[in-house]
Amino acid sequence: MNVKFNNRDPVYIQVIQHFKEQIATGVFEPGQEIPSRRELANRLKINPNTAQRAYKEMEEQGLIYTERNLPSRITKDEAVIKVVREELIVEAVNSFIASVQSINIPLDEVLDLVKKKYETFQDEQGENS
Amino acid sequence: MMRYIKLVNFELGRFLKIYLVLVGLTLVLQLLGVFLEANGYLGEVEELVVNGNLTQEQFLHDYGYFSFNDVSRSGWFIVPILFCILTLMIYVFFIWYRDWVGKNTFAYRLLMLPTARINVFYAKATAIFLMVLGLVSLQLVYLPIENSVLRMMVPSDFRIDMTVDQILNGFDNLRVIFPTSLIQFIINYGIGFTAVFVLFTAILFERSFRWKGIILGLIFGAVAVVVFISPILVQAFVLPEFFYPMELFILVVITGLIVLAGTIWTSNFLLNKKIRV
Amino acid sequence: MIEVKELSKKFGRRNVLKGVSFTANKGEITCLIGINGVGKTTILNAIMALTPVNGGEILIDGERIHKGSYEKIAFIPDAITMLPQMRIKDAMQFMADFYQSWNQKRANDMLKFFKLDLNDKISTLSKGNTAKVNMLLGLAMDVDYILMDEPFSGIDIFSREQIAEVFTSHLVEDRGVIITTHEINDIEHLIDKAVLLDEGVVLKEFNAEEVRETEGKSVIDVMREVYQA
Repeated sequence: MNVKFNNRDPVYIQVIQHFKEQIATGVFEPGQEIPSRRELANRLKINPNTAQRAYKEMEEQGLIYTERNLPSRITKDEAVIKVVREELIVEAVNSFIASVQSINIPLDEVLDLVKKKYETFQDEQGENS
Repeated sequence: MMRYIKLVNFELGRFLKIYLVLVGLTLVLQLLGVFLEANGYLGEVEELVVNGNLTQEQFLHDYGYFSFNDVSRSGWFIVPILFCILTLMIYVFFIWYRDWVGKNTFAYRLLMLPTARINVFYAKATAIFLMVLGLVSLQLVYLPIENSVLRMMVPSDFRIDMTVDQILNGFDNLRVIFPTSLIQFIINYGIGFTAVFVLFTAILFERSFRWKGIILGLIFGAVAVVVFISPILVQAFVLPEFFYPMELFILVVITGLIVLAGTIWTSNFLLNKKIRV
Repeated sequence: MIEVKELSKKFGRRNVLKGVSFTANKGEITCLIGINGVGKTTILNAIMALTPVNGGEILIDGERIHKGSYEKIAFIPDAITMLPQMRIKDAMQFMADFYQSWNQKRANDMLKFFKLDLNDKISTLSKGNTAKVNMLLGLAMDVDYILMDEPFSGIDIFSREQIAEVFTSHLVEDRGVIITTHEINDIEHLIDKAVLLDEGVVLKEFNAEEVRETEGKSVIDVMREVYQA
């Protein structure tokens, strides 16, 4: 796992964000076993307490679950995963809108452009897979 | 207790190579001394009796018999002993300073051992004592060996045989190190070992306070000497002819023990409260 | 927890520490930050009773340091604490002989991890490898607290990475670690608490994640603020 952390946002939140992205994109599959907090700290090169905190928060948010003494797993709850996907999309959209808002182009053209670029991207993905 | 013993073992091990050199050198040079002195004597015999015109009697009358004293008073015998003494005297200081000098920061390790720091002090002192006693003992082992060589080389007509006891009695300056009575041995070595303790304490003063420490160390040494000989000073300047010899002796033993206790207490204090890496 | 209270220390006339106070908790990595000469090494030496202090108090789990403390707290200074003529295996044997808390298995694991050879003489090791051996001697002990003085100074980047890995591994977990460094950018995301030192006092003591959360600042941002005030 090669995640780049910035030093201004709490690291544990960046870890959770990373997990959300991986869940939303399906890299982490529902029910998939995740590394122990110690292993995660080692892989991401972060403080083990931070990994601990991230796991605690994710557990509380329902992103992961831990059965007794077994390793933690990604949630199987489709509803939760859906929410995560939506969250990330909304974030991306907000971010997009913030970037293009000040540029003076009518919304229809912008949406058209988005649709075109998206389809091209899908095609390329299709060729590659 | 175990850690003290391990430290003693450790300190002895560190010095082993040099120690073996001292041991070997002493034997080699002293044997060489036997050989050369005997040879020299026999050479004279050859020159003056065999090839010359002295009779054996005349020769023995003028030049005397050959005995171990001729060896023990020669440089070949004495110099290695002096060398050992010098080396150990230097090591009394170096046994401490070697842990601080150069790239060596072993002092950190010694001070962070899970044992009372005074044990480091005791271990170094014990190592010195054992090494000194070891050399002295070895010398006593060498004497019969060297004596045998002498007997093999010099014909019985020309030599006087000596027992080890007689050889020791024949030492003059070396008697300090090889006293002939147990009491004298205890006194000499008791003073010597107390002196080592005093020197160690002075070294610890230096290690605690650096330049100021040297001065404090010297003062400490001076005070130690004065306290030690105070009964004698009292007898000499204050109350002449006051004490019986035996009383004086006991008093000096007591002051000696006081000095010893003082060095231990002071060193313990310095090691725990004042020393710095 | 290690509590340093109002620590003061003079070297001759120079007042190096003028009442330094901070705490380091078990299970956390506390980083003492300051320019060279500010007294970071002195503080660590003082905690280990390797230098006398002029004032203040240092408590380790509520107690003043005593000989048994050395089985609970290990110090990794910036110089190696073994004889140069010793081989690595001799150094390890020494530790095993004197410390009950010495963990031979962990020592062997670390030896492999750092790719060190038992038979190498310490005097022949490179600076990076010497630092690794030094670190091994401290970390292979089952102690509650570990003090490290400038673990990254003067070491090549690959050795640095290896050493940084140590902080995220089981080797350091559940222990209280105090490190001093001025290479803060390498390890910002590894530390729990930062203690900023200047002019003999603690200017600020703070939890890194907390400051990120409440003020959106990195440790370096805070350093800039505090040191340039």
